[in-house]
Amino acid sequence: MKRILLRLFLQGIRDFGINPWAQASTLAAVTLVCFLSGLFLMALVTLNQQLGMVRGEISFQVYWHRGTDISQIREQWQGYAHIPGFLGVKTFTPEEALEELGKRLGRTSGSLEKEFPFLAEKSPLPATALISFAPNNRNLERWISETTLFLESQPGVSRVVATPLQDELGRAWRKVSKYVMWPSISFLTLTLGLLVGNTIRLSQMARSHETEILQLVGAFNWYIRTPLIINGATLSLSGGLLALGLLFLVHMQVHDVLNFPPLLMEIQFLPWQLMLALLLAPTCMGIAASWLAVRGQ
Amino acid sequence: MIHVRHLSHSFGPYWALKDCTFSLEKGDFVFLSGPSGAGKTTLLRLLHGSLSIQRGEVRMADIDVKRLTRQQIPSLRRQVGVVFQDFKILPLRTVQQNIALPLDIRGLAPQHIERRVRAVARALGLDGRLSVRCGELSGGEQQRVAIARAFVVNPQVLLADEPTGNLDPELSLRLVELFKQFQAYGATVLFATHSIDLMRRHPGAHIMRLEQGMITNANWPGAHIFRRPDAMPVRPGASNADDVRADEAEHDRRDGRDRS
Ligand SMILES: Nc1ncnc2c1ncn2[C@@H]1O[C@H](COP(=O)(O)OP(=O)(O)O)[C@@H](O)[C@H]1O
Ligand SMILES: [Mg+2]
Repeated sequence: MKRILLRLFLQGIRDFGINPWAQASTLAAVTLVCFLSGLFLMALVTLNQQLGMVRGEISFQVYWHRGTDISQIREQWQGYAHIPGFLGVKTFTPEEALEELGKRLGRTSGSLEKEFPFLAEKSPLPATALISFAPNNRNLERWISETTLFLESQPGVSRVVATPLQDELGRAWRKVSKYVMWPSISFLTLTLGLLVGNTIRLSQMARSHETEILQLVGAFNWYIRTPLIINGATLSLSGGLLALGLLFLVHMQVHDVLNFPPLLMEIQFLPWQLMLALLLAPTCMGIAASWLAVRGQ
Repeated sequence: MIHVRHLSHSFGPYWALKDCTFSLEKGDFVFLSGPSGAGKTTLLRLLHGSLSIQRGEVRMADIDVKRLTRQQIPSLRRQVGVVFQDFKILPLRTVQQNIALPLDIRGLAPQHIERRVRAVARALGLDGRLSVRCGELSGGEQQRVAIARAFVVNPQVLLADEPTGNLDPELSLRLVELFKQFQAYGATVLFATHSIDLMRRHPGAHIMRLEQGMITNANWPGAHIFRRPDAMPVRPGASNADDVRADEAEHDRRDGRDRS
């Protein structure tokens, strides 16, 4: 039995020689589709990782009226920790805000006040706080507006800005992948299945005389079909492997192209699970397509 | 071993086989004779399942052929060695590979296959040609490859469709002897031929004559002779082998030896 399977396997590999052109063009098509899918997955992985750092986080930037009593504000800062989903808060007293601004402008600490002495007495900036939450609330919109209202109702608060920017980015990305990427990958895979099935049918036709004789001397159907299915499977698997190799080369070239401030994104290569998927998916598709192609005979 | 009852087969409106009934027991050897177009090939094809049975019953080695599903037909064919009229060999493969085919599909050990193929090839005078591609062989040699492939599995039933059609008379006789050796070991042999000479040389053999799809003569009680009103008169005592052979000789003259 092992011997038969080995022979059928080798036969399946040899069948590449039957229609070299059809096989080669199918291989190219499988490689192309796997490569494109791989690129997409690579983008998805990289972006997901970026988004994952902030995924589900919603921040509120809160501004107080100038001149509000700072001790009252500090009291509020301490109270935030009791809000469910609270992650952390970054607070700036007017002075701290000024210093931060100075730093941003490239000055050393305290130099801004020296240049503009009036600033030292009273910072013109309001006190602010950046509060981060990881809400586990289903209805995010409502949660955001409620929290905004709550924060605004606090004494001395002048303005609250919700910045669910990252979340929105993530949602947009998910939408794109849901409505564009996956449908097109599925469509391409289907086309690929037809292509592989067709190629296998060509092999089968080229071998029809042999098939007839094998049947006449008592070969079972699986004996006749296995080489063809192995042909289809290896064809697709080779396409996946080639695509993976190409992806690796491309990744070597581009992994650092986004790695500059402020993006600082290193493009990730696929994790092993996805590499495996990129090999297994076309292989399964190849097996299914070949099986369907030879079954109808 | 082979039991056929009321077997009929039509291609479109044309009946190639009409109501054939006969039985062959284990170890029987029967010559199936008849002019070209009589239905010999059709009968043999029905017996090993390469034509589906339209009417009647066929039992081969206790297998009800009519009931076999497509998936079960290989099991029947593995018990039957068939020599096809048009050989059905692979021209691009060597003699060795062609003869080994039925053993290959059974997954036997290579040494065993090799030994068996050598033995059969020697018996058929092909031992010097094992590594030659079949496409390069003469018609007679190809025919012997086809016979070797049927012999190689040591089948319980041998169906041979004019297996000596491309061979000279002397070789034909030797071949029939080989078939008879299989018979001696218990195989049932159905041997289609149009060679009177061959039948004449084997006086003890059963003969069944087929004409226009009907069994018109037979020299043993296992076959039911179909009697049409317009059929030529069957000699009284036609179950005598000599009579059938005389009958054959007469037909042979009439058909002008134009038989394939
Ligand atoms: N596949 C087929 N399609 C149509 N007619 C066929 C087919 N095979 C055989 N026949 C017809 O059936 C008759 C019997 O053919 P066959 O069994 O080949 O005769 P034999 O082998 O005795 O020469 C012939 O008239 C032939 O034309
Ligand atoms: Mg014939």
